[in-house]
Amino acid sequence: MTGNKAAATAVKLARVEVLSAFPVTPQTTITQYLSEFAANGEIKGEFVNAEGELSTQVIVQAASRAGARTFVCTSGPGQLYMHHPMHSTSSSRLPVVMATVHRGNKSMQPDHTDLMSQTWTGWIQLYCENNQEILDTHLMAYKIAEDKRVRLPVAIGYDGYVLSYTAEPVEVPSQKSVDDWLPPYEYQSILPKDYDPATGGRGFGGGGRDPQQGWITHHEALLNALPVIKEINEDFGKVFGRKYGNGLTETYKTEGAEAVMVAMGSLAGTARAAIDNLQADGKPIGLIKLKCYQPFAVEDFKEYGKKFKAIGMIDRNVCLGHGGAGYRLIRNSLYDMDERPKVLQFHAGLAGKEVRVGDFERVGEKILKAAKGDKVSQVEWV
Amino acid sequence: MVVGIRIHGRGGQGAVTASRLLATAAYYDGKFSQAIPMYGTERRGAPVTAYVRVDDVRVRERELVHTPEIVMVLDPLLSTRQTMADDMAEGGLLLLNAAYPPEEVKTGGNIRVATVNATNIALETLRRPITNTAILGAFAKAVGWPKLESIEKAIRKQFSGRIADMNVEAIKRSYDECSEVIPAPVKIAGESEAIAVGGYGVLKDVSSWRVFQPVIDMDKCTGCKNCWIYCPETAIKWTDENKPEIEWRKCKGCGICVNECPVGAIEFKRVEIKNE
Ligand code: SF4
Ligand code: SF4
Repeated sequence: MTGNKAAATAVKLARVEVLSAFPVTPQTTITQYLSEFAANGEIKGEFVNAEGELSTQVIVQAASRAGARTFVCTSGPGQLYMHHPMHSTSSSRLPVVMATVHRGNKSMQPDHTDLMSQTWTGWIQLYCENNQEILDTHLMAYKIAEDKRVRLPVAIGYDGYVLSYTAEPVEVPSQKSVDDWLPPYEYQSILPKDYDPATGGRGFGGGGRDPQQGWITHHEALLNALPVIKEINEDFGKVFGRKYGNGLTETYKTEGAEAVMVAMGSLAGTARAAIDNLQADGKPIGLIKLKCYQPFAVEDFKEYGKKFKAIGMIDRNVCLGHGGAGYRLIRNSLYDMDERPKVLQFHAGLAGKEVRVGDFERVGEKILKAAKGDKVSQVEWV
Repeated sequence: MVVGIRIHGRGGQGAVTASRLLATAAYYDGKFSQAIPMYGTERRGAPVTAYVRVDDVRVRERELVHTPEIVMVLDPLLSTRQTMADDMAEGGLLLLNAAYPPEEVKTGGNIRVATVNATNIALETLRRPITNTAILGAFAKAVGWPKLESIEKAIRKQFSGRIADMNVEAIKRSYDECSEVIPAPVKIAGESEAIAVGGYGVLKDVSSWRVFQPVIDMDKCTGCKNCWIYCPETAIKWTDENKPEIEWRKCKGCGICVNECPVGAIEFKRVEIKNE
């Protein structure tokens, strides 16, 4: 099945109660599948048509506030149009789940700039490598978002076209196994007893409190989500037989490796193929797949920083005037170490530029050169 | 070993569906597979390319198939073009929808060729020139996999009822009617000319979309102008003799004029593509 079918299937399995979406390429077919499922009764929930993405976000936000399990999906420009209410969804700590089928901000083709430009809205962001992972991640996302220790919206990013329209085998778990693992969303008031109203909502301080409290609580909530994401990934693995590294990052063939490349989304698949070829040639390089981009797994990277002499981050994005998003976070994570590895920056696949296995073989060779102490350029557009 | 397949068609012939059916059938055969569509601005008649990878292990790379072992062409006009064989692997197989035997194929190179008249099969089984399933049976015959049962299973998953039955009949017929696979009679790749597939204004040329073309019997025609009004492509001119005249580059062969003529003066005739 295609990536979009995998997402729609997961939403159906999760027994979502309120869905809203506005069609935008390359997300369109999720909207089609979901409206079909809703029309023929396969989904009992309400599919709400809206006139634009801003409304879809407001609709699911309101439904989530009222206690419904919700889903919304979009791409590229739709994502940008939705930006404003995304803040209030996350500030209100509502467990909305959203699929972002990547379409970059400068073309119809995929890169991660659409979802990454939402970083400051404070949603959890999980990225997917293949269609199986899309299905599985949606199921996990509900469990993470609704966990009482988290209570944050989750965005699931996967590359448009490359995954959204590519068909490949996907194992679909039975409805019963999903029902057993993911019980119905238990309604809670958005202001539970242990939740200080002054810190919820829009983050306005009240009653003489620090007006910054809303930001502090939201930030801490994201950091506190890290162990829960790990735990839910582990549990998913036990029940369904598939898991994704430790839920935050995954290592691939890193044993004995002197250096690693780091990739996100569908580029991780291409990187795996490149690593196989490089290792077959006796080149000691492995892969780290970055699945959870927000919150960022600082501790994981501190460990990797101790193990490897060079790390090459492949960003399918650029924060203009700053650099790659992943690259900056990795370097930041390593700053306090006494002995730091080399960290190189690669930008690849922006605006849907095709990335071939051979491209990543070259990337790998360059990272290995840096590991040996050879001088190489710091930043490269693949 | 991974096998890369490239599928060429024109919008409306079902190239993307063909890629998915093929990938699904290969999966039922116990293989791993991947079907990649290449979307442009989707429009009837515009060339469409889709790719399939079949492997014994899960496919991880996401790039397009750059040196296909197999190329399958759903459109009889595209089938006459040398570009179809571009970048094919040495000794690869080129399967064409064509009304002529492989001995007459002019596409050159160090490749093997086979033909099947998929348009005829589609017209006879589906009553529409949608050639995707009508060529998949031939694929199974020429390539040796996937199993015909696997393609049938994939079709029944995608379609239901009568539509599924008709498509299953199409694959069976195309399996039986596929030619032998022979080394390409022309060894050296020839020049390739582009085909007109759309365009706007004076550049517009949709003539290559036609599977049927309208032929007007001027003796029967009463000059009522119905065809002139209804033609969606404004392909019908009005002459000084108060009669319709078709501008062939604008006529896409939709048959609306045939349907609208109140006196049955327009006949719809099959245009079969020759390899000249
Ligand atoms: S077949 Fe269609 S396009 Fe051609 S003349 Fe008739 S109505 Fe016009
Ligand atoms: S619709 Fe028929 S009768 Fe009328 S002008 Fe056209 S061809 Fe002649």
